[in-house]
Amino acid sequence: MPTTTAPLPLPERFPADSIQLREGLDQPTWIVRREILVDLARELTADPETGFDLLLDLCGVDYPDREERFEVVYHLASLRGGGRLRLKVPVPEDDPVLPSLIDVWKGADWFEREVYDMFGLHFEGHPNLRRILTHEAFQGHPLRKDYDPARRWILTEDKMYRPQPEPPMDAEDDMFERMTINIGPSHPAMHGTFRVVATLDGEIISASEVEIGYLHRCFEKMAETHTWQQVIPYTDRLNYCSSFINNVGYCRAVETLLNVEVPPRAVWARTILSEFSRVMDHCVCNGSSLVDSGALTNFWYLFQPREEIYGLLEACSGARLTVSYCRIGGLAADLPPDFEARCRALLETIPAFIDDVEKLIVSNRIWLDRAVGIAAIGGEEAVNWGWTGPCLRASGVDYDVRRDNPYDLYDTVDWDVPVFHGGDVHDRFRVRISEIRESLKIIRQLLDRGMPEGPFIVDDPHVALPPKEVAYNQMEAMIYHFKLIMDGIQVPPGEIYSAVEGANGELGFYVLSDGSGKPYRIKVRPPCFPIFSTFSRLINGGTISDAVVSLGGLNVIAGELER
Amino acid sequence: MIGESWVTTTFEKLEEWGRNNSFWPLPFGTACCAIEFMSVVSSHYDMARFGYEVVRFSPRQSDVMIVAGTITDKMAPVMKKIYDQMPDPKWVVSMGACACSGGFYRAYHVMQGIDELIPVDVYVPGCPPSPEGLMYGILQLKEKIERDTKKRRKREKAKRADDDGSVAAA
Amino acid sequence: MSSRGAHPRHPAPYRYTIVERLYLPLLSGLWVTLRHFVRNFFGRGKTYTINYPEERRLYSPRYRGHHILTTRPDGSLRCVACFLCAAACPAECIHIEAGEHPDLNIEKYPLLYNIDMLRCVFCGYCVDACPEEAIIMSNNHDMAYFNRGQSVVTKDELQKPYAYDESRLGYRPHYPEEQAQHAALRHGLVDLVEEARRQGADSASRTAS
Ligand code: SF4
Ligand code: SF4
Ligand code: SF4
Repeated sequence: MPTTTAPLPLPERFPADSIQLREGLDQPTWIVRREILVDLARELTADPETGFDLLLDLCGVDYPDREERFEVVYHLASLRGGGRLRLKVPVPEDDPVLPSLIDVWKGADWFEREVYDMFGLHFEGHPNLRRILTHEAFQGHPLRKDYDPARRWILTEDKMYRPQPEPPMDAEDDMFERMTINIGPSHPAMHGTFRVVATLDGEIISASEVEIGYLHRCFEKMAETHTWQQVIPYTDRLNYCSSFINNVGYCRAVETLLNVEVPPRAVWARTILSEFSRVMDHCVCNGSSLVDSGALTNFWYLFQPREEIYGLLEACSGARLTVSYCRIGGLAADLPPDFEARCRALLETIPAFIDDVEKLIVSNRIWLDRAVGIAAIGGEEAVNWGWTGPCLRASGVDYDVRRDNPYDLYDTVDWDVPVFHGGDVHDRFRVRISEIRESLKIIRQLLDRGMPEGPFIVDDPHVALPPKEVAYNQMEAMIYHFKLIMDGIQVPPGEIYSAVEGANGELGFYVLSDGSGKPYRIKVRPPCFPIFSTFSRLINGGTISDAVVSLGGLNVIAGELER
Repeated sequence: MIGESWVTTTFEKLEEWGRNNSFWPLPFGTACCAIEFMSVVSSHYDMARFGYEVVRFSPRQSDVMIVAGTITDKMAPVMKKIYDQMPDPKWVVSMGACACSGGFYRAYHVMQGIDELIPVDVYVPGCPPSPEGLMYGILQLKEKIERDTKKRRKREKAKRADDDGSVAAA
Repeated sequence: MSSRGAHPRHPAPYRYTIVERLYLPLLSGLWVTLRHFVRNFFGRGKTYTINYPEERRLYSPRYRGHHILTTRPDGSLRCVACFLCAAACPAECIHIEAGEHPDLNIEKYPLLYNIDMLRCVFCGYCVDACPEEAIIMSNNHDMAYFNRGQSVVTKDELQKPYAYDESRLGYRPHYPEEQAQHAALRHGLVDLVEEARRQGADSASRTAS
C-alpha cells in the first residue's frame, strides 16, 4: 500500500515546544528536542497496529552555519500501518550528546556508531560506541563539512584493533576449551572484507564481534564533492552485483526533488533492467553462498545466466558491471534496437539454469542439513533489527517496497511476493529462487506490453543534455550544454527520502540539496547494513561452519555495507 | 663442474617453465573487481585454460597476488602482511583503477594505489577491467617474467664468463 | 496494512519430507550433473568458454574501452580544447593544455591532452560532454601497464591507439550500425530474437581475432 503522507497527530503529552511539525515533500517531519527522544520513540512504537516498528535509517547532517550545528535524522516506517515519519533532532556542537535508541530499535546500534564516526556525536547509553567505518588511527570526523575530503591517516599494523569478545557472564562456559579466533578480513569465507572475531567454547561460538569498514570508500563525502550527475558512477559501486538498481534509486530521488517526469520509455526500460539486475544479484548471492557450503557446481550454473545478463547490460550501456546507464531524467542512451529480442532470449535461457540448481539443491538432504534452522531469526526480531528485503521475507514478514510503495511500473504488473517462514539460511535461499521467477514474470509482462515510443530522457535543458545534433547546430542548446556540464544540474533546495527495492532490501536515498550544483548531503540507506549488524547475534551458539554458511545467505555486499 | 651447472640450469629452466605456465594466483579481492575476477575463473572465460586455475586463498601457497578492488587505509596493513607472507618469487597484478591509483576515490580512507606499499608488476586499468583485460594483464605478466629471466640468465652468463676469465688470468 | 497480521515471533523451520529424509532427491541432482557432463564431453551441449585471446566474443558497439581522439579529414585533431570533458570527468583524469592556433579563425587546439588510464573509470562522461565529437571510445580493453608513467597516455597515443577500424569503435554519440539494424528491423529483414539467441553467449557470436 502506498505510504500515507497524511500528517500524523502530534502526541500530546509532550511539552508544546518539544516537537514541531514540518511538512516534508515526501513524508511528515517532526523536529524533536533531544530530551524527549527516548520517550517519544517508545510512544511511537507502542501501538501494535500502526506503531513504527522499523527504524529505516539514522544519519547525521552538518550545518556549520546553524546555531545548533548538527542534526540527526531518523527515518521510521510502520510495516503494518504503512506510515512513514522523519524525526530530526538538533544537536549543538559544544554539547554533542543525545540519547541512544538502542533499547527501542536494536538496529540503531551500528547506525549510531556510524554517526559517531562520521560526525563525532555521542550517544548516551550505547554499549560500544567505537568507530565503525574508518580505522583506529583515524582522527577527526570526515563528514563534517570542514573536513578535507582527501585528508588521510595512516594505519599501521600495531594500531589495529584486536577485539576479545567476552561471553556473557551467565553463559554455560566452563572455560575448558576456550579459544579466540580471528576470521578475515582477507578470508575466502568472509567474501573479502569482513572480519569476525569469535570466542569458541569447543566448537561452539560463545561470543563474537564483527568488524567492518575495510571497504569504506567515502561515497557520501565523494558525493558532496561532485555534481549531481557525476554521482551516478559512484552509485554503481554501492551494490556492485546489481548496480543498475542503485542508479535507479538515486536518480529517482533526485528526479522527485527536481519534479521532473521521466518519459515512459525510460521508466519501462528501468523496470525491466532492474528486474534483470535483481535476477543477477540473487544468482550471485545464491551461487556464492552455495560455494561456501561446498556446492561448487551451482556456482557455475548460476553464474552463466549472470554472464548473459551482462551481455544485455553491455548492449545498452557499454559496460558489464558498472553500468551507469541511468541519468537524472531518463537513460544515458536510447535502448539498442535488439533490446526486446535480447530480453526475450534471456527469458528463454535463464529458467533452465535455475531449474538445474533447484534440482540439485532444494531437496538435497546434504544441503538441507547445512541450512535448515541455521542462523534463524523470527520476523518480529528481524524487523526490530531493521531488516528488509528477501532476508526479512524469509522470516515471514510480507514487505516489499515494490508492492507496498510502488514506483515505476510495479503497480501495473501482476506478480507475487514470496514469503517463507523458516527465517533461516534455507528459506533465504528459497525466497531468492522464487524471486528470480517472479522477476522473470514481471519482465515477461512488460515485454508483452511492448516498448513505449518516445524519448528516453526528459526534454528539459536544465536537467538533461540536449541531443547532440541540436547542440551542434543551435547556439542556445550549446549554451545549455555548456552550463549543464560546467555547473551541473541546479537542484532546488529541499530534502527527500526515496526508496526502491534493492536486491537485498529497501535501498533508500536521503538526499539534501541546498540549491547549488552539488548535493549537500546524500545518505544511502544500505539494506545490508542493519542485516549484517545482526550477524553476531545470528552466529552465537552455532558452529564456525554455520557462521560461514549464514554469511553467504545474508547477501552482504561490502560496497553497499560500508559505502 | 660443467656437468653440475648444466644439470642445475636445465632444472632451473624446467622450474621456470613450470612456474610460468601455472601461476597459483592469490585473489585479494575486496570489491567490485573481485566480482569480475569471479567471471575470469568461471566457465565463460575460464582462466584454467592457461593453467592458472589453482586459486589459492593462502598466501603461503601462491606466487601471484591479484589485488582486485579498492584498498582502504584500514585494509592496507592486512594487504602488506599477506604480501609479506607470500614466498619468493612473487608478483603482484593490480586489477582495476582503485588498486592501481585509487581511481575516482580521491578520498580520506582510500589508498591512492597499492604501490604506496607493495611493488606492482602489472597494472590493469579499467573499472572493473573486463575479464579479457585481466587475462591480457596476466599474459603480459607471463611475458614479463620470461623477459626478466632471459635478462637475468644473460647477466649471469656474462658474470660467469667474467669470473672464468679472471680465474684464467690469475 | 491491517490485513497483515503481527510479525511472526518465532521462525518455523522447514520440515523434511520422507523422500528428502531418504536422500532420494540426490539422484535427480546427480542426473543433472551427469547430463551436463555427458553432453559437454561429447560436444553436444553448448560450450560456454571463449578461447580468448584466439577468439573474442562480439562486443557491444557501445563498449566503453580505450579512448580515441578523432581527427578531421585533414588529419588534425577535432578537439578544440574547450575543457568540457575534463569538467565532466568524475575521476578528474583528463589533463588538457590549450594552445592558440596561429590562424585566429581556427579555434583553439590542445597542446597537451593526457588521460591517466589508471584513474579513468570508463564512465563515458567525457564522450557525452564533448560538443565536437572529438573524443569517443573504442572497444579495446586489452590494456596493461608496467609502471604508472606508462599509463598516462598522450594525445598522439590517443589519436591512434592501435590500428582501429570501424568494428573497434565503442561508446560514442551516434551508432550508424544500429541505425542500419533499426532499418532492417522495420523492413522485417532480420529476426532479432533469433539473432540475440545466437549472440547471447554462445559460440556463434565469436570472431577469430
Ligand atoms: S576499480 Fe572500479 S570496479 Fe574495481 S574496485 Fe574500484 S570501483 Fe570497483
Ligand atoms: S571515461 Fe569517465 S573517467 Fe574516463 S576520462 Fe572519460 S569521463 Fe573521465
Ligand atoms: S575532447 Fe571535446 S570536450 Fe574535450 S576539450 Fe576537446 S573538444 Fe572539448
